[in-house]
Amino acid sequence: MKNINWGKYSKPIILVVFIILLSILRPKAFLSLNNFSNVLWSVSVIGIMVSGTIFVFLIGGIDLSIATLCAFSAVVVVEVTHYLGDTPKAVAIGVAAALAVGLLAGLLHGIIITTFHIPAFLVTFATQSIFLGLAMVFTNNKIVSCTVPAFTAIGSRKILGFPMPVYFMIVIAVISWFVLRKTVFGRYVYAVGGNETAAAISGINTRRSAIMCYMISGLTTALGGIVLASMTQQASSSTGAGYTNDVITAGVIGGVSLLGGEGTVTGAIFGAVLMGLLNNGLNLLSVPSTHAGLVKGLVIIVAVAFDAMQHADQSRKKVKKVKKAQA
Amino acid sequence: MKKMNQTTMRRLISVGMLAVLVILFTILAGAGKGNFLHFDNLIEIVRDASIPAIIGVGVTFIIITAGIDLSTGSAMALVGMVMANIYEYTLWPFKVMVLCGILVGILCGLINGIIVAKLHVPEFIGTLATMSVYRALTYIIAIKDANGVIQSEPMTHSQYVWLGYGIGKFYYLIMVMLVVVVIGQIILRYTRYGTNLYSVGASKKAATLSGINVERVQMVAYIFTGFTVAIGAIFTTARLQSATTAIGTNFEFNPIAAAVVGGVALSGGSGDVIGTLIGALFMATLENGVRKLDMNTSYQYIIKGIIIIAVVIFDAVYKSRIDKAAKEQGAKEGLE
Repeated sequence: MKNINWGKYSKPIILVVFIILLSILRPKAFLSLNNFSNVLWSVSVIGIMVSGTIFVFLIGGIDLSIATLCAFSAVVVVEVTHYLGDTPKAVAIGVAAALAVGLLAGLLHGIIITTFHIPAFLVTFATQSIFLGLAMVFTNNKIVSCTVPAFTAIGSRKILGFPMPVYFMIVIAVISWFVLRKTVFGRYVYAVGGNETAAAISGINTRRSAIMCYMISGLTTALGGIVLASMTQQASSSTGAGYTNDVITAGVIGGVSLLGGEGTVTGAIFGAVLMGLLNNGLNLLSVPSTHAGLVKGLVIIVAVAFDAMQHADQSRKKVKKVKKAQA
Repeated sequence: MKKMNQTTMRRLISVGMLAVLVILFTILAGAGKGNFLHFDNLIEIVRDASIPAIIGVGVTFIIITAGIDLSTGSAMALVGMVMANIYEYTLWPFKVMVLCGILVGILCGLINGIIVAKLHVPEFIGTLATMSVYRALTYIIAIKDANGVIQSEPMTHSQYVWLGYGIGKFYYLIMVMLVVVVIGQIILRYTRYGTNLYSVGASKKAATLSGINVERVQMVAYIFTGFTVAIGAIFTTARLQSATTAIGTNFEFNPIAAAVVGGVALSGGSGDVIGTLIGALFMATLENGVRKLDMNTSYQYIIKGIIIIAVVIFDAVYKSRIDKAAKEQGAKEGLE
């Protein structure tokens, strides 16, 4: 093939252009060490979540409940910690409870979606409302704060100059990369996303794979909620608001196809970094966070439309090839 | 026993659900003045159901084509805010302001239509994206004071406030809702466009092959929804007598929920506007009853979510059973 695969190089190019642009526009604010760790914090939460939700994207599903599940798990960890008396042990149990909530939510999604063959967006659209209600009921519609040192350490303690969430993100991204690249289950995920019927015929238990994917997604979303609550030292029903879009956008920017079967963890993490920079950059350019939705929405539309066009192009090429071979 | 028609059966179920809910709340929250079962309260319920029902008519069209629209709440806020700007900064007559609002609504629908039908972006992703775009635009054009703090804009034009009232207890909103529902039902049942909507929803490929312009059918459905969103926005701002950036937050859930409860299958190709109206009444009754019982209003989010999942699961199971029965019958006839 003669034409250069722009898709392959576009990501680093976008990243470099973005960083240069911000360095020129806001050199002092952007290039400071303090800002650097701000970006890392923002990146790590999105990165943690997208490392898990990528499994759902890869099987052609979606999770619209990310933001409210994040809120609910944040509320659970804070409330359980309070209930058990704010000790380090209570924090550990609280974290475990929140992670269990995430896993259960994923299990619920997976079972409903695969048993009754209901579109994922619809199920997660409905559960989004349930998680929101649960978060509201548990907090009595207030903001609950938690300043137990053992808890706040999760989000704000620094090791070798980097905040803890960064290490979380790296560990989870590596695990996720390993599972997708080096395990049989990972191959199954791509196969199911590429063509579910073909995967089922070739003997893959597509149902079990799909349920596992939703559970992984729930787990990382809950972890994102815990980290977010720990960073802000509080939880409420609006913790994580907007993260549904951020995580989907990160995946899409990173080349994960929402139609399933395509995408890598490295791409998704790249997307998270770009989203973190975007959030930070818009912030530094004093664009209010309420306006950022415009940019993110447009990014999603352009990226997905481009993806859909490429898909149509590829299938057209395939048809041509087959016709040529027949002739 | 003669087997009941599938749509009749589904209609009976949604009416039954509504009836059960009304009876339940009558027992729990009581009848009489100030209680659940009282004329004033029932009219209040219909009034609350009206805006989800009006927008639900458009959303029903979209869902029949197997699409979805998650941007209705944000589009409502945008329409309201555009009208607020016209109210604040121009001396244009009231009618022109309303007309501009309707045009903005139609434009929002057109954009959704282009994204979905022309760019082939999956519906829920495309409209999820426009949801945040429209909301952001609302914030951008919101009326701010000298310090850049967003103000809620009071809109107290006498003709505008008039829209929030009605003849006695029969609010204009309810009348408009009934008109929109009737028009929607006529379009679905008695026009070629209505038939085309169902064929597109049943199978896009088959519709294309039989000469239907699928893209145009989808576009018109989104544009029509934009129109209904504008009507919803006009009445919401008229009732609140102001426009805020928070209008329609989490609203997109309501028309979809109404359609789902009313028997519009999200897989496309079935359901109608009357069903959506019943669904909207069901949701409004639920909200009202929860309020009347002095329950924490947060519970309604949980209850709504569970009801939607339950109804959707029911529809899926029901549909697979019917498909299976049809297949078996076909096989039997084939053997004979």
